[in-house]
Amino acid sequence: MTGTMTAAVGFGAMLLMIAFRAPIGLSMLIVGAVGYTHLSSYNALFGYMKTNAYHQFANYTLSVIPLFILMGALAERAGIARALFASAERAFSRLNGGLAMAVIGACTAFGAICGSSVATTATFGRAALPELRKFRYDPGLSTGTIAVGGTLGILIPPSVILVVYAITTEQNIAKLFQAALIPGLLAALSYCIVIAIVVRRNPALAPRTEPIVVEVKPQPLWPKLLGVALLTAIAIQIYRNQLGLAFGAALAALSLLVMFIDVSVMPAIMVAIIVVGGIYGGVFTPTEGAAVGAIAMLVIGVVSRALGRKEIFEALRQTAETSGMIFIILLGAEIFGAFLALSHLPDTAAQFVGNSGLSPYAILISILAFYILLGAVMDELAMILLTLPVFFPVVQALDFGMLPDEVAIWFGILVLIVVGIGLTAPPIGLNVFVISSLARDIPLVSTYRGVLPFLAADILRLALVVAFPAISLWLVRLLN
Amino acid sequence: MTDAREPSGEANAARSPSEDASQTSSVIGALASALAVVGGLTALAVAILATLSVLGRWLFSTPIEGDFEFVKMGAAITVFMYLPYTQWRRGNIVVDTFTGWMSPRVRRLTDAFWDLVYAAFAGFMTWTLFHGATDAIRSGETTMQRQIPLWPSIALADALAAFLCIVTLVTAWLMLRDRSADRS
Repeated sequence: MTGTMTAAVGFGAMLLMIAFRAPIGLSMLIVGAVGYTHLSSYNALFGYMKTNAYHQFANYTLSVIPLFILMGALAERAGIARALFASAERAFSRLNGGLAMAVIGACTAFGAICGSSVATTATFGRAALPELRKFRYDPGLSTGTIAVGGTLGILIPPSVILVVYAITTEQNIAKLFQAALIPGLLAALSYCIVIAIVVRRNPALAPRTEPIVVEVKPQPLWPKLLGVALLTAIAIQIYRNQLGLAFGAALAALSLLVMFIDVSVMPAIMVAIIVVGGIYGGVFTPTEGAAVGAIAMLVIGVVSRALGRKEIFEALRQTAETSGMIFIILLGAEIFGAFLALSHLPDTAAQFVGNSGLSPYAILISILAFYILLGAVMDELAMILLTLPVFFPVVQALDFGMLPDEVAIWFGILVLIVVGIGLTAPPIGLNVFVISSLARDIPLVSTYRGVLPFLAADILRLALVVAFPAISLWLVRLLN
Repeated sequence: MTDAREPSGEANAARSPSEDASQTSSVIGALASALAVVGGLTALAVAILATLSVLGRWLFSTPIEGDFEFVKMGAAITVFMYLPYTQWRRGNIVVDTFTGWMSPRVRRLTDAFWDLVYAAFAGFMTWTLFHGATDAIRSGETTMQRQIPLWPSIALADALAAFLCIVTLVTAWLMLRDRSADRS
């Protein structure tokens, strides 16, 4: 039996196991281990496990995952979502469908703190859904908007899915985060446009909210002082040649933002800017950024008294459960990947596709279409970990007229968009399930109906980023 | 989030003649939950260390030496602390799209079967990690910068893998025993 055949049998066996309710990570572990033994020997597997079972996890890059999850879990409980939503509500209150747009706006900001779509959906299910109901928004539009807004948790960096992609394909996390920003903001914008169109066509979906009386609270002085202090610090750092001029200018612009933004959301915005900006600027590694963010969230939550011992322990346990789930799949993917590498299937597939004479774009579009179909019935994280060992070398072998590294980053953003689609698309959309579990009286079908117009926007955005790689790569090129 | 000490099956403990055994299983669950919190606190400690290192580097140009070695070690240990809890909460991803036709009883037995497979793998991992730890003792392998011996953390990971094996056996046993949902 050739290596390729063995790999094909392995894939088949694994899919069979998964279809029969075996946990996905376990299926990959078992098939990977058996296949590895078959292609080399038991002793080789033993030697591999002896070192990798520990060293696979004792990995600096990988440690970013539990830290980002911890940051999100703390943010979920620190009362930040409510403040963000209240602030966005004031900003959007004059528009038709303004409350739904406020959800998208607040999710965008929250997405810059939280790297998980499930956490974002759950958070806004609690923070925004009661408000949407109070103003008699259509149930399907409400839950659909929150489910879609939840995907901004991963579309806007930081993003756990992108970290997993970066680790599997050995790409730079910071560059992937840079590449995700503009497509992510584009997503938020397109969702607001969708809401505007939907509400225009059927105004009954979103009754006009009474123009909310904006409390004219005197804004305190300290943000101004803080802004000035930051500007001074930046000037000093530039003077000492510790900061690049362009990056310093970006920081200065943000300090100005600090001076004039709504005070209630300032801590959250600050953390987002420090974490994402720091990673972009290379001030710290993604792991350090996640660490700083988690500690900042903890401090904000404790100071604002939103986080007591109970909430913190809850956040720690949630981090444990989610990280454990991701890591068992990562270990499975590692062993399964080692088995695939022994089988030479990835090389063979890349060669085969490279020699097939098909246009690179045709192949890319087939892969993305395949992902959309698979993502509709399967967990997205497992999906990319399962397929990347084969698809990534294939994509790398294609000629798009760009450097291989750029193709890798661009492809990562495309995968991210497709994952976002899978999280909300019927019949299996994780975000839709999360919001349904919080609003049991709203039928699943209504939520899916609410999600559909947004999916059209997603497909359009996917097409745009495929046609114009610069949408994602422009910022990467600018910052490096 | 509900309390982890009441997983599926525990509610029916009163019907079971083996009171002691169910007590043992709830102790295991409580232990898994406690380990998850300890792992979370370790992650927090690692985060504090990394934050201090960043601040030190940015403000005084003196990072904490070998900070990434602690991060790596902490990451490995915390993951092994997380795995039993994920299993106890049945948090591992399962695709149940294609098994709607199964009766609750068959589904329950299938889940118990996969738990046993997981237990076998955890056992295998415990065995390999044991050899990994003894190898590290023999070679005296240390981290590069701080010269911290590697074997204690590998040994700890090994102990936690053994605990994972126990947890998977207990969840399998709970699944086999819990007939409450079969009739519905």
